[in-house]
Amino acid sequence: MDFELTEEQKAHRKEFFEVCNELEEKRPPSFIGFEATYSIDECWEFHLYCAREFGKRGWLALGWPPEYGGTGTIMDQVLFAEARGYHRISGYDIFGVQMLAPTLLQAASDEMKKEFLPPIARGEVMWCELWSEPNSGSDLATLTTTAIKKGDEYVINGQKIWNTGAHRADWGFGVFRTDPAARKHHNLTFLLLDMKTPGITVRPIPYMDGGSPFCEVYFDDAHVPAKNIVGQENEGWAAVNLLAGFERSGMVEIMSMLHELEELVKYCNETERNGQPLARDPIIRNRMAQLACELEAARSIAYRIADLQNRNEMALMDSSAAKIFYSELGERFAFLATDIAGPYGQVKASRWAPAHGAWEQAFQECFVTTISMGTNEIQRNIIAWYGLGLPRMK
Amino acid sequence: MDLRLTEAQEILKKMARDFLATECPKTLVRELENSEKGYSPELWGKMAELGWMGLVIPEKYEGMGYTFQDLAILLEETGRNILPGPLIPTVISTFSIIETGNEEQKKELLPKIARGEVIITTALLESEGTFNASGIAIKATSKGDDFTINGTKLFVEMAHVANYIICVTRTKDSTSPEKGITLFLVDSKTPGIHCEIIPTIAADKLCEVRFENVTVPKKNMLGIRDKGWPIVEMMLRKGAIAKCAESVGAMQTCIEMTVAYSKERVQYDRPIGAFQALQHIMADMWTSMQTSRYLVYKVAWMESEGQSCAKEASLAKAYVNEVYKNISKWAIRLHGAIGTSYDHDIQLYYRRSKAADTAFGSTDFHRELVAKEIGLI
Repeated sequence: MDFELTEEQKAHRKEFFEVCNELEEKRPPSFIGFEATYSIDECWEFHLYCAREFGKRGWLALGWPPEYGGTGTIMDQVLFAEARGYHRISGYDIFGVQMLAPTLLQAASDEMKKEFLPPIARGEVMWCELWSEPNSGSDLATLTTTAIKKGDEYVINGQKIWNTGAHRADWGFGVFRTDPAARKHHNLTFLLLDMKTPGITVRPIPYMDGGSPFCEVYFDDAHVPAKNIVGQENEGWAAVNLLAGFERSGMVEIMSMLHELEELVKYCNETERNGQPLARDPIIRNRMAQLACELEAARSIAYRIADLQNRNEMALMDSSAAKIFYSELGERFAFLATDIAGPYGQVKASRWAPAHGAWEQAFQECFVTTISMGTNEIQRNIIAWYGLGLPRMK
Repeated sequence: MDLRLTEAQEILKKMARDFLATECPKTLVRELENSEKGYSPELWGKMAELGWMGLVIPEKYEGMGYTFQDLAILLEETGRNILPGPLIPTVISTFSIIETGNEEQKKELLPKIARGEVIITTALLESEGTFNASGIAIKATSKGDDFTINGTKLFVEMAHVANYIICVTRTKDSTSPEKGITLFLVDSKTPGIHCEIIPTIAADKLCEVRFENVTVPKKNMLGIRDKGWPIVEMMLRKGAIAKCAESVGAMQTCIEMTVAYSKERVQYDRPIGAFQALQHIMADMWTSMQTSRYLVYKVAWMESEGQSCAKEASLAKAYVNEVYKNISKWAIRLHGAIGTSYDHDIQLYYRRSKAADTAFGSTDFHRELVAKEIGLI
């Protein structure tokens, strides 16, 4: 059992950190959380800039086959995630790069791979995910937006919701009902759509903090070429499951929290209350130490997942566990930081705000990852049913 | 990075698991809990034949010459099965001889330890129950070529059957409590030593050991006079990691037992494991175990490689302490009333979760070390 990186991996990691460190210095001050990428114009511009910088180095295609622009290994993906997380750099399109690309590599035709993968690798095309609907969230298979085959096109009608960055994205991937008569799970088709297709209307949803990372997407007779299908008609559910399997280990979020913890330590060392630095308060020391323990635990299971993925082994149970753990850890972090800051914990970005308002922002965003990518309750079901073999109640 | 076990490690693990299943069933565990000795000399002898006490003792001293990581793998199995006895105290105390003993001490003791002929434990805590050096008040005063120890130690694991007790004493007063500490290998047959077993939740035979004018020859000093605290820190660190490894094994059993029970126990016309409330608890138990597991594996590897890992060891111990207690508590709760019965095995683990918590540093002690390591002033 060996946790050591090879010399080559160490060299790559060093380079990832150096480049992300440089990019961090160019990052706009309004970027105080990853959701700002979609909400704030200058943050979106920065995201595109970073994407192109990564694209030209081949870093958006790490571990891909070379014929589609791939370089490096899956372990490089993890090391790169560490760097992006620690320096809190966007530029990595979760939807196109993280989720769609590996799905296409496994399930798409050669023609489709040749058409769609290179622009993703170059960081030139940004994607959004079109899955959830107002009445179909966790129980996605009940979705009702239809894609009816007409000649060599699908005509789409309906509505999607909670689509992150749909108002910014160039393309979207989604799952639609193609055969309303067929039984559940066998009537869905996975399609790729140009977001500029006539008939597609995107409306940002106001988030509680005033930003709008999430959107509604309306389809009113939107025509999509039938060749944009991934996999087989009516068998889109398989592609959905495949995509869901490319779960993140949470390395970006974990490393980001690690950096934030360093900043919280500095804040506690430099801020006085009741005649002493906050750092001398035993309760604060104890709570922060516990958080440090949990961060290290989260990082450890992320490496476990990386190790399995590096050998192309499945990591379903560990991925669900990791997702639950790092997302809820994010909640605990936000609660702790805003607690420690006292009345300042409620202050939005302004001259009075600690950490440039990042902690107040985190408090408003922290549960997003517990809900997205499969709610933590669903993840617990997955561990119970498929991991522990517990009976599923009818 | 490759987190799979080597073939040799897989063999060690399997052999340990099979051996313990046969040689240390729960009937023996209960018997030993209720006995005064608290361990089986016969079983100890068989363990010695397998090389367990000498696992990390260098081969030139009749040990197996394995790594700390291998030890962690073995201890995961002992934790999984439960193994009452002085294995951990002996192995951890032995590190102080391996690392700071002189050649004479090593030649004299290490082969005997490896052969299972010598049991060792370390006497650290005193009445305050703190793991900090400030709690060391027991004095060792020099008298010619010897030293005389006076004072009382508490929570000394298996002292009543140990052949040697490593006593952490204060040989010099200083403004800084970590200075002036000296360790002595005390022969337990020396006149003036009085052992009394403290009744504890895990019946693990933690003893009060009173030293009344106990003479120790100078040659039994471990390391350098007045500079013994780093040896204690080393033993606390290795002991913490070892205890964590043992706890990971124990957690695994708790979860397996609970999942199995929930599939068998029928209420409201279905196995109780079909109810989501219980499923989610079990999913959380598994998640917290799995996060612990890889944290412990990582720090055991770092220790094995000789990397500086005081921070990681404390991160692990502080975390695992709470996870093991929590998992074993839920394991009992999900068994319902039967889980509380002495005749049921699950409570054996719960009671040990508290013992594991305090051994080699309780949660708050390690959290304070972590607080310093992350840079809080």
